[in-house]
Amino acid sequence: MSIHNEGGRFSPADDPAAGVDLDRVWAGVAAEVWRRRPGPAERAAARLLRSPGLARALLTTPSLLLPWLISTAVVFGVGALVSLGQGQPLVWLLAPAVAATGVAFAYGPGLDPAWELSASCALPDRMVLLTRVVAVFAVNAAGGLLASAASGAATALTFGWLVPMAAVCALALAVAVALRSALAGASAGIAAWVIVVLSAQTASGQLTASVTTVSAYLPYLVVAACCAAIVIYGTRPRKGLQ
Amino acid sequence: MRDTRRSFGKNKAVDGVDLQLGTGVFGLLGPNGAGKTSLLRMLATVLPPSSGEIRLLGRDPRGAGARREIRRRLGYLPQNLGYYPSFTVAEFIEYFALLKEMPSAAVPRAVAAAVERVDLGAKARAKLRTLSGGMLRRVGIAQAIVNDPDLLLLDEPTAGLDPEQRVQFRALMRILGERATVIVSTHLVEDVGAACAEVALMSDGKIVFRGTPGELTARGEGHGVGDAPLERGYSAVLSAARSGAVTAS
Repeated sequence: MSIHNEGGRFSPADDPAAGVDLDRVWAGVAAEVWRRRPGPAERAAARLLRSPGLARALLTTPSLLLPWLISTAVVFGVGALVSLGQGQPLVWLLAPAVAATGVAFAYGPGLDPAWELSASCALPDRMVLLTRVVAVFAVNAAGGLLASAASGAATALTFGWLVPMAAVCALALAVAVALRSALAGASAGIAAWVIVVLSAQTASGQLTASVTTVSAYLPYLVVAACCAAIVIYGTRPRKGLQ
Repeated sequence: MRDTRRSFGKNKAVDGVDLQLGTGVFGLLGPNGAGKTSLLRMLATVLPPSSGEIRLLGRDPRGAGARREIRRRLGYLPQNLGYYPSFTVAEFIEYFALLKEMPSAAVPRAVAAAVERVDLGAKARAKLRTLSGGMLRRVGIAQAIVNDPDLLLLDEPTAGLDPEQRVQFRALMRILGERATVIVSTHLVEDVGAACAEVALMSDGKIVFRGTPGELTARGEGHGVGDAPLERGYSAVLSAARSGAVTAS
């Protein structure tokens, strides 16, 4: 460890070029050399989420391999249960809670090696968790869309579970960011999901129609567009705020 | 902290601790299971107390807003530092700087300064999976100090460091203690003697001694157990606490 006098800086007596703070100069050079330059996606996420920390958490979620694999397995497992439970609203209403709990477990104290460190940081852990849930569903939904393009077998799971859940989670995150409350965001997400499920059941008399028919895709897209609009509106740059 | 307690089932990890600290380096000594780590985790706002009152940096951490403000000014090195093997040293420290909500423009320079302070400049771009245990400990110290904290909590910071690095680390603690409250939990008595202005000794969840290292040394006069004077003081106080003769704080 480099220990210098007077608060960690060289004194003029130590420094031939008296008055030049070599530590400060070197820190500036090192900062430029070592800094990780965020890509366009991370910069956009930081602006939308109003937080470089949340953006980094969002982008690094898939790189934490074991929690990521477990989260993905949970999401697909719940998706399979949902497919089996077609026509049973209770299964549909509980499914998001089960999936979110699975992601929370995967990125929780048991499996996230740096959980204790994260828990001592200022960024609220519930916001980080919400961000991770969005990342898990969004990436898997993107994968599902690609798989659906290749094979019709993945269509039901993708459009019946992954895409709508990604939209609902994005809505929850948007509300959480706008209101600065993860609890408010989660409540909004749950409310949106309940409305989607119950309204679909009421309209058609059977729940399966809401996720297996092409006509149901349009409402999902509308929900997704609304989420995007809320995110853009709620996170628009304002004077005086970084 | 006032009458702070923390229980896990029937086990009282922290049993009625009163503590008030200002700037400087404060050593927390005690045998394994004495309650040091639980105490530090409560101070780090990771573990809520079962009862009692805690105020940190003038704020009550029970409130979400206050807790967030405390955490911005907090540095914490847990006993078991978990890390992400695929991250580089600089990425890991930067990640936690961002989670601490440091202004993003200040992060690169702060990361560079923290890396240099723990002498890991040559390894800044190395993956964490390639580092030795001592180097990982220094990474942990770097992430703890990256935000220039007002309250720095270090749980066994010198574990895995070689003697030269421990000497340098003690000097770093002394520098940090000039303007921040630094609490160091350790079972290495010599670290406390060299770096701490004040020390507390815990046993069975209670603080059984509080004073300067010199005062702890004085308690060991005439006591036979221990190679160094401070170790004899440590053993003497612990023996007295276990026999119920002394509960001084």
